[in-house]
Amino acid sequence: MSKPLAPAFPSVDMATFLASSAHDMKNSISLLIRGLEGILGTVDATSFAAYDDLAQMTYEAKRVNSNLIQLLTLYKIGQDIYPFDPQPVALGDFIDIIAAQSGELLKSQGVALEHACEPDLYWDFDEDLVTGIIGNAFNNAIHYTRDRVRLSAARVDGQLELRIEDNGGGYPRHMLDECADCMRGVDFAAGSTGLGLYFSAIVARMHRQRERCGEIRLENGGALGGGCFILRLP
Amino acid sequence: MSFQQADNAPEADFSTRSFLVVDDFQGMRTILRDILRNCGANAKNIATAANGSEAVAQLAATQFDVVLCDFNLGKGKNGQQVLEEAKVRQLVGPACAWIMVTAEKTSDAVSGAAEYQPDAYLLKPITEATLRLRLAKIWAKKMAFAEIDRAVRQGNIAAALACCDERLRTDKANANDLLRTKCDLLLASGDLARARQAFETILAHRDVPWAKAGLARVLMQGGDYAGARTVLEETLAVNAAYLEAHDLMAKTLQAMGDLEAASAAIERAVRISPNSATRQKNLGEVALRLGKTDAAEKAFRRSVTLGEHSILKTADAYLGLAKACTANDRPEEALRALDQVDKTFDDETVRMQSLAVEGMVHHKAGNAGKAKEIAKKLAQTAAASPGETQLTLDTARLLLATGARDEAVALLQGEVRNAPENAALLGEVKDIFSAAAMADEGAALVETSRKDAMEQMNRGVLLAREGRHDEAIAAMRAAREAMPRNVRVLFNLTHVIVAKLQQDGGADPVLIEEARGSLAAAHALAPGEARYATLKASLDTLAGVR
Repeated sequence: MSKPLAPAFPSVDMATFLASSAHDMKNSISLLIRGLEGILGTVDATSFAAYDDLAQMTYEAKRVNSNLIQLLTLYKIGQDIYPFDPQPVALGDFIDIIAAQSGELLKSQGVALEHACEPDLYWDFDEDLVTGIIGNAFNNAIHYTRDRVRLSAARVDGQLELRIEDNGGGYPRHMLDECADCMRGVDFAAGSTGLGLYFSAIVARMHRQRERCGEIRLENGGALGGGCFILRLP
Repeated sequence: MSFQQADNAPEADFSTRSFLVVDDFQGMRTILRDILRNCGANAKNIATAANGSEAVAQLAATQFDVVLCDFNLGKGKNGQQVLEEAKVRQLVGPACAWIMVTAEKTSDAVSGAAEYQPDAYLLKPITEATLRLRLAKIWAKKMAFAEIDRAVRQGNIAAALACCDERLRTDKANANDLLRTKCDLLLASGDLARARQAFETILAHRDVPWAKAGLARVLMQGGDYAGARTVLEETLAVNAAYLEAHDLMAKTLQAMGDLEAASAAIERAVRISPNSATRQKNLGEVALRLGKTDAAEKAFRRSVTLGEHSILKTADAYLGLAKACTANDRPEEALRALDQVDKTFDDETVRMQSLAVEGMVHHKAGNAGKAKEIAKKLAQTAAASPGETQLTLDTARLLLATGARDEAVALLQGEVRNAPENAALLGEVKDIFSAAAMADEGAALVETSRKDAMEQMNRGVLLAREGRHDEAIAAMRAAREAMPRNVRVLFNLTHVIVAKLQQDGGADPVLIEEARGSLAAAHALAPGEARYATLKASLDTLAGVR
């Protein structure tokens, strides 16, 4: 029995191990969501007592799913294997689609979504990544708004500006600081930064034109007088 | 105005169209079918398939307007391979809208060659809103490109370009695709100056990755590999996972003869997209050249497996595997791979190549008699079937190994003289000599052939410059005789004939015919060369309405 014990932690690449586990979990969650949506589609909202609970469960499952997708995306970006693909996007269509998809979700949380877009606006960006950012911003807005959220796109100072605004009491101080830290490039592991903001900051910075790169900002005020999440892309 | 509106955003009419849904999960097929019905599709116009073979059978039986195909189809063909087979066998026409559905965004799922790309990729989960909008966009794009595609099919590049320009003036929604198509057409027709200008105009406005890659292509086609490398380095510094840039970088470095760096570039591309049969084959070929025989064997094996269900599979991966196994002293496995080649590919050149590799297997295994017998058989056919560089090189390798030195040297010199400016080829020929312990002698032979060819290539042009047109034509005719597949000789023969005709002011039909033949041969060997377009225009002017 002179053989030494194997180390408790075999020398596997931990990041890869976590990523492949996240991948596996994502597949299970997808099946779960598919099942839940299947049930939701077959029952009647007014006569089925647990309808609201089921809808809430679906919402939570989707949140976990999108978190896992963001984790995996961050992993791929870190490994330089994410197929970053900026393409010209028609902002009108982009906003319409997001409104159609998220509108239902926001309504179920008692929030009305309005949207606006400067006409004939096209911009180059990675549609999937930016959709992820907007999803995060909606999740935040749901927490802080009273009952309205507004999504808009416009050209400002030669950049694309996407705004998600609400009519709540505004973002708390720590959120505003956290966001500023994110853009300054504070170490994720050291701080208390949430996944959503970190993801958004990284993705915004990936969008570069010459010496300019994208940024995210949180402010209070805006069109609805509450919190505003602002994404600017060069 | 209302016409413009309809042109840009046609109503997404699902009711009259036919659909094929391909997914290996019954549940997913049901979901997609329901989404299509909610979009207005007629239930009896929606067919489904549970795997690649079923999909291909359905596509062979029916013309579908829309195909919704999952990328991952379990065992057998994947979605990309179904699409490739449908295109190669012409089961779908240009009007068919093909949407590839993927579970996540990976380079693997989105890296098919340009001519085998779907009209769109959609990430799961698919919703009614995304599908509706995406199909409306695809249909609008197909409408915008109908005329351009027709002109391209008829070979009328000028008309296609004019059509792109006209559409670009009004069609904002398709501007990016129109611009890309215009640039691709300029590149394909060899109009490097205009292509370069088009890319640079785009880049002056914005850093657009595909335009950067396009600029690199222009430089590569013009032979400025160092310039291309710089542009690609800039692109990759900003977007490290840009697959096309890695692939172009590998090609550039190979053309420069820097195999080590090319190998590293392919390895980076393989890390981003590990499941491409072609890229694994390329990796294997470079590894083999570098003597990394274990890595080569692994890459070739992977390529063979990945291509198993693909209609686009080539014999190269199998032949490479056989060579790698030979180098790794596993002759039985090499012969097994060759056996597979003979069974899978019904092609005379491939059979010859397989034979050449088999000869080397026997040579390496100490079976000299058999190797010699094969070498003899190949020597006769190789001389008779010019134009197959790889076959010629493999034959020469075997001839050298079996002691038929003079025949091998003649074959290799022929290859060098036909492409004396191809650094990658010269490197490979030198390697073949080195492997036969003839490094110094081989290098000298290559250098002599190269110099001699370069001199002959330019002789006619120099004579023409002095106004000695008839001598120039005679010199280039002799050069063509000696180097029938030398692209520069073929171009230069055309050039000196054009110069003579321009000076004489006559349109001698026999000379014009000769020039046209030479130009066509050059174009067939090296499509997309800059000189093709200018020489063709000069000939058209000389022959036509003057």
